[in-house]
Amino acid sequence: MNKGTGVGTGPTAAAAAVAAQKQKTMMQRVETDIANIVDNFTQLVNVARVNEPPVRNSQETFMMEMRAARMVQAADSLLKLVSELKQTAIFSGFASLNDHVEQRTNEFNQQAEKTDRMLARIGEEAAASLKELESHYYSSAQRTADTE
Amino acid sequence: MDGNLEISLDKLPVKRLDAIEENGAERYPPDSSYDEKRVSLIRRIDFAWAVEDDEERERKKKQKKSSKDASATWQWQSMVENLQLAHQELSVIIDLINTVEANDAVTVAGLTRPKPLPNEVLSDLAVSAATKLQCYRQLGKYFKQSSNSFEEQIAREARFYGALIRLQQNWKVKRQRVAAASSSNEGFTIDLFDNSLYDSAAMCRPSSLSTIRVEHDSAGMLAINLPPNSCRSLHFGFLGVHSSDIPKDLSKIRTHDSVEQRTRESEKESKSDDDYVKETHTLLREVHQSIFDDQVFEMLNREAFKQSVGVNVTGIRENYLQLSIGQGNTLFISLVPSNKGDNQDSADTQNLESAIVPLQSFDTEKKWGFPNRTSCEIYLQQIVHENAFVNEKDKPNLSSTQASGQSGKDEPGLLGHFCLSLAHRIFSNRVLMELENVVCRVPYLHLMTHPTWHSRTSSWTIFMKVPQSILHAESQSLKSDFQNLKDAIKSQFRTKVVVNDDRINVEGEGAPNVVGLFKRSSENTCSVNKYECDLADLPVIILLQVASQVICWLHEEALTVGIKTNRDFLCLTFELEQGETVSLVAHVNPEDIKGGISWWLVMEDGFAEDWKLQMDMHDGASEYRKFLGHLTLDVLYSSLMDLVSLCGGGRNH
Repeated sequence: MNKGTGVGTGPTAAAAAVAAQKQKTMMQRVETDIANIVDNFTQLVNVARVNEPPVRNSQETFMMEMRAARMVQAADSLLKLVSELKQTAIFSGFASLNDHVEQRTNEFNQQAEKTDRMLARIGEEAAASLKELESHYYSSAQRTADTE
Repeated sequence: MDGNLEISLDKLPVKRLDAIEENGAERYPPDSSYDEKRVSLIRRIDFAWAVEDDEERERKKKQKKSSKDASATWQWQSMVENLQLAHQELSVIIDLINTVEANDAVTVAGLTRPKPLPNEVLSDLAVSAATKLQCYRQLGKYFKQSSNSFEEQIAREARFYGALIRLQQNWKVKRQRVAAASSSNEGFTIDLFDNSLYDSAAMCRPSSLSTIRVEHDSAGMLAINLPPNSCRSLHFGFLGVHSSDIPKDLSKIRTHDSVEQRTRESEKESKSDDDYVKETHTLLREVHQSIFDDQVFEMLNREAFKQSVGVNVTGIRENYLQLSIGQGNTLFISLVPSNKGDNQDSADTQNLESAIVPLQSFDTEKKWGFPNRTSCEIYLQQIVHENAFVNEKDKPNLSSTQASGQSGKDEPGLLGHFCLSLAHRIFSNRVLMELENVVCRVPYLHLMTHPTWHSRTSSWTIFMKVPQSILHAESQSLKSDFQNLKDAIKSQFRTKVVVNDDRINVEGEGAPNVVGLFKRSSENTCSVNKYECDLADLPVIILLQVASQVICWLHEEALTVGIKTNRDFLCLTFELEQGETVSLVAHVNPEDIKGGISWWLVMEDGFAEDWKLQMDMHDGASEYRKFLGHLTLDVLYSSLMDLVSLCGGGRNH
């Protein structure tokens, strides 16, 4: 049903048809499971009456256990459906994913530019400081005093 | 046979459904075996006649007994008798069953159930009700248990998917359909391979690390488990230098990996999910960097196999590349695992390096001249990153970083460019040392560094500021227009030193132009000339240049005060009366620690045209030389004025 990385809901008719089919299938599953649960629970409650021959009671016990297991199984399958939906949301929410990726890309580009500018600025400041320091050093009294 | 014919009815031998399982399979009662069939048949035997006979016999016995001891009646007596009767009946039945089993010729005709008493009915009902209630209670517990486990599962999934969503904000998460039975995870992987690198023909092999599986750990949270020595990092160094730094640096580099794994295991519960996701981000980033380093190294290996300018491979091993960059310097690039637990490899690397005989001597000066190892690593990674991420932009950087002297055919590749840059850096450090030595010794020189922002070019200027003469301070204030600035005496002389790769160009003014000398014109005698030299000659060249600039300046000063002097390369000659000359001669000695330029005063009489011959005469009659020492420019200027006044005084006579 679900493909690997998620088929996008593109403009093509085939993709849209597949998506609609998927949605229909999921709804069917949901309905089946819920009907299952409700039906089994109804039967459980109906069997609450105590009957005369004890063998019927043990029959009913078995039946109740079976219906309870069915209910739990239906609930489990519903949960699986939910997690499948979550996965699809994670992997196929292309609009939001793309937006997010673009946003991050912009952020990183800006950061890279900022770093470049900062490096250039540091370089310029270092060059300016070097020039100043050199001129101070070479014209300083310390140096001329040393050499005399 | 008796008149009554007894008929018993059997159930049809049809299989009735027993139960349905969760997956829809139907369970039938198992087929009874032969023995069970026989036993069920036996149960249908009607023992009523035998029981009645026995009861009559027992009653008779009891009457006899009771008539015997009527006095000793006991309240439990009847119960005891009933139990004994029941016991007898059961033993009869058991015997009969055994007989039937042995013979297999008797069938059970029918069995009627005894009519239950009302209390029995009620107690049966009570038992049934209690059983049912028990059953419902068990169902309730089962439901509760299931719901708890579902809630846990939901919580685990929520944590897992929450973390996965956060990871997805920075990394590429892929999902594969895995067979459900094979693994507990849903087949998520994180793809770290960057296919925007390089041209596709060259770099098509993704590393084994580039796809990372996302797994569940014991708490249901996502976990990324990496094999222990999978991350490798690029390591750069100069052979013979920094060898003592290596174990320190290796132990510093990327120990986060193992530390993180340990903390993750031990303090898992105390960390919040946010911290955990952050750590995972860090881990993924390290793997990403490791993949990049792998790719860098592979690219360098490929470049090393190509013949290109600047690349001179002297050693190659697995994950190790050694290159010679000229002048006895050798560098190596290697890939080392970045985990602390791999001390063996680092020790091996160190042994390798120390075992290789270095070609240069271990001068401290040379060690100082080497660029910082980490900055070289970063530079290497940066040029690979910039120049190898192609396709949308052309490669402007590579062409712009070529030295101007290289032809198009001999373009160095990335590795060549890197080696040439490093060689240039080492060489220019040596040049700078020489220049500083020179400048430190001569007090009126200033050194100025010009950052070229080019990795293979360096440039310095040596300034000499000459003191303003008093005369010209006045005159220069009058001559303010641009036209006359040319005629104004220069207040500073410059010598420019430019190093391209390993070629030194010296460009300076002050040395006399040969053509100008022939023409004897004062205009172009101080011109700019440039020439190349090598490192050993650089101090001498610089000092010669400076000395000639000083002579030039003195010559100009003398001209402005109206005295005509002759200027040779390092010598300024004044004419006195009677043909005598006095010369101020500069002597250049780079080894002189007190100063590079010293001055001599030489006096000659005019009759000695060829003054070289005169030097052989030991009597100082026709020549007189006095060593003046290392003079500052002010002192030189005043000496010049003294000489000028000497000349002028002589003339006035």
